[in-house]
This record gives sequence, C-alpha cells and structure tokens, in this order.
Amino acid sequence: MLSWLDANLVSILNGVAIGFLLFILAIGLSLIFGMMDVLNLAHGALFLLGAYLAWAIAGGDPSWGGFLLAIAVAALVGLASGGVLAVAVEPLRRRGHLDQALLTLGVALVAAELLALLFGRDVRGIDPPPGLDRGVVVLGDQYPVYRLALIGVGLVLAVVAHLVVERTTVGSLIRATVADRDMVSAIGVAQHRVRFAVLGLGSLMAAVAGVLGGPIYGARPGLDATVLILALVVVVIGGLGSVRGALVAALLIGQIESLGRAVLADAASFILFGALAIVLILWPQGLFARQGAR
Amino acid sequence: MNDRRFSRRGALGLLGAAGAAVALPGCGSSVGGGSGDGGGGGGGGSVKIGLIIPQAGVYAPVGADLKRGWDLWLERNGGKLGDHPVSTVVGDEGESPQTGVPAVQKLIQNDRCDILVGVVSSSTALGVRDMVIESKKLLLISNAGAVDITGKAASPYLWRTSFTNNQVSAAMGRHLASQGFKDAVYTIAPDYAAGAESLAAFAKAFQAGGGTIAGSAKPPFGKTQDYQPFLSAIRASGAKATFCFFAGAEAVAFVKQYSQFGLAGAIPLYGTGFLTEGGVLPAQGDAALGVQTTLHYSSELDNQANKDFVAAYQARYNEAPTCYAVQTWDAALVLNRALKSAGGLDGDSVSKALGSVGTIDDSPRGPWSFDGQSPKQKFYLRKVDKRDGRYVNTVLADLGELARDA
Repeated sequence: MLSWLDANLVSILNGVAIGFLLFILAIGLSLIFGMMDVLNLAHGALFLLGAYLAWAIAGGDPSWGGFLLAIAVAALVGLASGGVLAVAVEPLRRRGHLDQALLTLGVALVAAELLALLFGRDVRGIDPPPGLDRGVVVLGDQYPVYRLALIGVGLVLAVVAHLVVERTTVGSLIRATVADRDMVSAIGVAQHRVRFAVLGLGSLMAAVAGVLGGPIYGARPGLDATVLILALVVVVIGGLGSVRGALVAALLIGQIESLGRAVLADAASFILFGALAIVLILWPQGLFARQGAR
Repeated sequence: MNDRRFSRRGALGLLGAAGAAVALPGCGSSVGGGSGDGGGGGGGGSVKIGLIIPQAGVYAPVGADLKRGWDLWLERNGGKLGDHPVSTVVGDEGESPQTGVPAVQKLIQNDRCDILVGVVSSSTALGVRDMVIESKKLLLISNAGAVDITGKAASPYLWRTSFTNNQVSAAMGRHLASQGFKDAVYTIAPDYAAGAESLAAFAKAFQAGGGTIAGSAKPPFGKTQDYQPFLSAIRASGAKATFCFFAGAEAVAFVKQYSQFGLAGAIPLYGTGFLTEGGVLPAQGDAALGVQTTLHYSSELDNQANKDFVAAYQARYNEAPTCYAVQTWDAALVLNRALKSAGGLDGDSVSKALGSVGTIDDSPRGPWSFDGQSPKQKFYLRKVDKRDGRYVNTVLADLGELARDA
C-alpha cells in the first residue's frame, strides 16, 4: 500500500491541479446552466477565445505584464460576450432547452470558425509567466510550478464563488431565482437583470479559464469542444446550482483523468464516461443538486 | 434533469439529420454519374487534377502545406505537367473518411478529374480505394502512411510519394539500437492505427538490433490533454530513452509536458519526424530543443535541389518548407515525368508511365525511387536547434535508404 501510494502520489497531486483547472472552467457553466437554466453550449468557445488571447498577448514573450493583461482583456471580452449571449437567448426564454441549445451551438460553431480565421489553424503553445515556468521537486519527482499555482488560484476562486452565492444579496437573488423564478419577479426584481449578470459573469469565468488553462492545454481548433464536454460532465456529476458540487465533481474528474489513467492505463479512454454513467445511475440529480433546481 | 437530457439528445439528433442531408447529394450523384469520357488523350490536352487535402479540422495545417508544395511546383514550371496545362480542383478531405470519401467521390464524378493527388489520413486513403479502382483513375497519395495502402491493399492505381509509417519508425529503431540505449527504451504513441503501426515497426527494428523495450503506453487518441500519468510511468520504468509517435496538437502537448515534468534532462526524447515538423515546432518552443527525430526530409538538407526549393518556398510563403510540402512538390515532379511518356490520362496509362520514371534525382529530399509504388528513400536523423531565433531540425546523420516495408 505504501509503495503504491509512493508511486502514485504525483498523479494524485496532478489530479488536484487538473481538478482545480476544471473547476475554474466549469463554474461558469454551472452558474449559467445550473442556476439560470440556460444551456450555454458556447462555453467552450469562450474558453478557447481566452486561450487565443493569452497566446496573442503573452505567447511570444512570456511576462507577468502580458499574462495579467491577457486575463484582464479576456475578462472584459468574456463579460461582453456574455452580455451578447444574454440578449440572444432572451427571446427563447420560454421555449425550452432544445431551442437554447441550437442557438448557443450555432453561436459556438460560428465563434470557432471566426477564431480559426483570426488566429489560424495551427496549434499554439503558451508558456507560463516567468518564475512559474520552472519545475520543483515535489515528492521526489519534478513537478511544474505553474500547476501548483493553479491549485492556489482555484482555491481562492472556489472560496470567492461560495461566498458570493451563499453570503451576498446577489447570491441570495440567484438562489431565489433558481428556486422560484416567478416569485422573484413578483417581489419586484427584474429577472432579466439577474440573468444578464449571471451570463456575463459565467462567460467572464470561461474566458479567464482559457487564459489560465493556456499553459496546460494550449490553443487549437477543436479545443472548444473538448473542454465543453469536460465542463458538462463536471456540471452533470456535481448537480445543478451548486458551487460545492462543481468543486467536488471537478476534483473527482481531476483524479479520474490523472490517477485513474495512471492506475487503469488500459481503460483510460472509458473511465471518464464510465464514472459519469455510474453517477447518473446512482444519483440522477448529481451529487449535490440544489433543492428546487431542475 | 430528464428534460435537459432530452434536449441534448434532441440537439444531437438534429445534428445527425443535418449530416445525413449533406451526405445525400453525394450518394445521388453516384447513381447519376458513372463512367464518363475520362479526359483527353496523350497529346497536349489539358489535365484536370483533383487535390484532396483537409481544409478544416486537426489536419488543416498539413493540408495547407500540401497545397503550397503543389502550387509552387506548378508556378515554377509553367503550370504544366508533361505537355498538359493543369487545372487543379481542391476537395476538402476534412478529418475522417466521413468527409474524405464524399470529397473524393465528388472529384471523380462531378468534377471529372483525370488524376487524384493528396490524401492525408490513411483511413480515408483505404476508404476511397475501391472507388478509385472502379473509376480507373490514378491516385497519387502524398501523405497517408499506412503500409497496407501499397501493401495488402495495393492496386496499380494507388501510388505514393510520401513515406510509410514503418520506414520512419524503423529508421529510428535501427539507430537507437546502435546508440547504447539497447537495454531500455520506452515507447509511446496514441492508440490508433498509425500509432500502433509505428510502435510495432520501431520495436521490430530495435529488437533486431538487440534492443529491449522497457515499457509501452498507448494514450487514448484525441482524448488525452494531460500526459502526466504516462510521464510518471516512463520515469518509473527506468528507461534510458523514450521513443514516441505524435503529431499535431498531441505532439505539442507531449513535448511541452515532457520538458515541464523534468524528463527532458534525464531521459532523452526520440520520435518520428512529425513530432517536430512544421507549425508544431514554434508552438513547442524551447521544450523541443534537443529532441531527435527521423524523417525523409528536413528543410536543412544540404543538396542543391533543396537549397533552390527552400529559397523559392521562403520567397513565396515566408516560411521554411515542411516534408508535407515536399511530398506534393514531388508528386508534381513525378507526374510531370510520367505524363511526358504516358499514352493517356487514364489510370492504366499513368500507372504504367510511373513505373518507368526510375530514380528521381532532383527532389529536395535527395534521390529516391518507387519500390512497390511507394518511395524507397533515405532517412535522416534530425535534432531540434535554435538558429537566429527560429527553431530548425538540423541534420545530424544520413541513416541510409529504407524500403517501404522496412
């Protein structure tokens, strides 16, 4: 047992790092999809947009200034895109998920093609900012510092997201909207404003996640679909409308993708969806579904 | 929850329906088309070439290079193959046979192309085989590397100007066995046909030279973004060197992570040339420095034909050429020779003429010849280096000639 642990400690650590990256990626989708009931299939395209921005701004000559600027630009562009999306889905509010899915899927396809036109179809590599591009010896093996930093950033964001949703007025409005939309309207809150804010904030998180994930995943055509599926899996496993659920699910998927692949190398291609299937059979609402969220 | 799942499935259904609608016109034309007149005869009439390259999807950058090589040769040779003025129709191969096969069908039946050139993916090449044979057109493959295309599935209508996966990997297997890594090399490639073929050919050549494989891994193709579990396995295996086959985005991710996790300094990385060829190299950046690969070409090759080619390519596209561009350049080169003597543009005449082109001595890759309709050619050991701020594959050694089924 001890030697097994020793051999796989790096995989476990890496699972935590990947888990936090997935959390940053999925929390926006969880907010939008779980809380506002809008199925945003353009989430992956926003992530890819962030990754390309990181490459365009900080790719040539990695510096802290460039990296932080990329985060700021991605946040602004993400917020604006979220606003556009909110306007676009507004007329479809009463028409069910299929119409929303078709609209946002269309937006995602157009966005992916525009990104390919803008940034080319080559694979782009993004280096971490100076200081984080090294490796440190952790548990006897070299491990990239950037991934350790990602764990810290993910932790901070998880705490912030939890506090915002559970402890602030905005958060209580969001929770109330999830529980009973009509009642929130009846007490005089403009529902579309909540929707606008959540879509904007969620899209902002997606674009920022793209910058933060850049040094690990790079930027390339097709990455949008890959991360969208991962984010959907996290949201489905975590349950709708729960920051805690998204965090636990993301960390779980991180372990499956890292430790799972190390231990069950032969089953590497199915364990992710195998785990998803098991969760759906045992807990059809997800692990931490919020009461009232459907 | 239930209604959400329903909507996602509904969306998928609609997508499927849209896909079917796109595929249908192709099927219709297979009924209406049939045996056309098949182009002009031998003397001076124009020749219509169908260039099959991916213009979208993961192989799009390879497709772009293939097109550049083809265009450049024609531009510099008066737009003629033999005495025939050339018109080129481009078909979009896409990512898989689902898009590649209809594209080829359209080039044959709607566009009535005389000769087909291109095809990046081996599964597309094998998927169009029967259609090409039935239409008696010649298909000159300028990338797809499966041995079977000119082996088990060989036909007089299928020729190739690129390489076989076996050749590229066997060259490295032979080399590493002679380099003091005999006792332990770890091998890794994605779990699809080309990856498996590559690892098998490497192992065969490496073991024939007395080498021992320390371990092997096959990460899921297209589903692996993070190679940490595999990198830990390589470290734990006690390997002295790693041999890998990766291309495109996976090549970038693997090489970068190999360096980030500190393996690059301890266990040298070797691979097939696609690992560091073309657009992936600047994306890998410093992480690729020192990586050694085998390939039938490098833009750094020191021969006159290559110097002229590189200069022309640089002037035209402001970039160093890749092996992909050379493969279509050479396709034009051999077709030019063949069409000078061919009795017609039909597959049988062109195939016969290709059989007698002999040694191609003015190719940028160095002299090569057809051996069983696929190149018998030299392979080079290359090492990634940085020169004047650019990453290049410098040539370390000439590893000698290898046959297609090496």
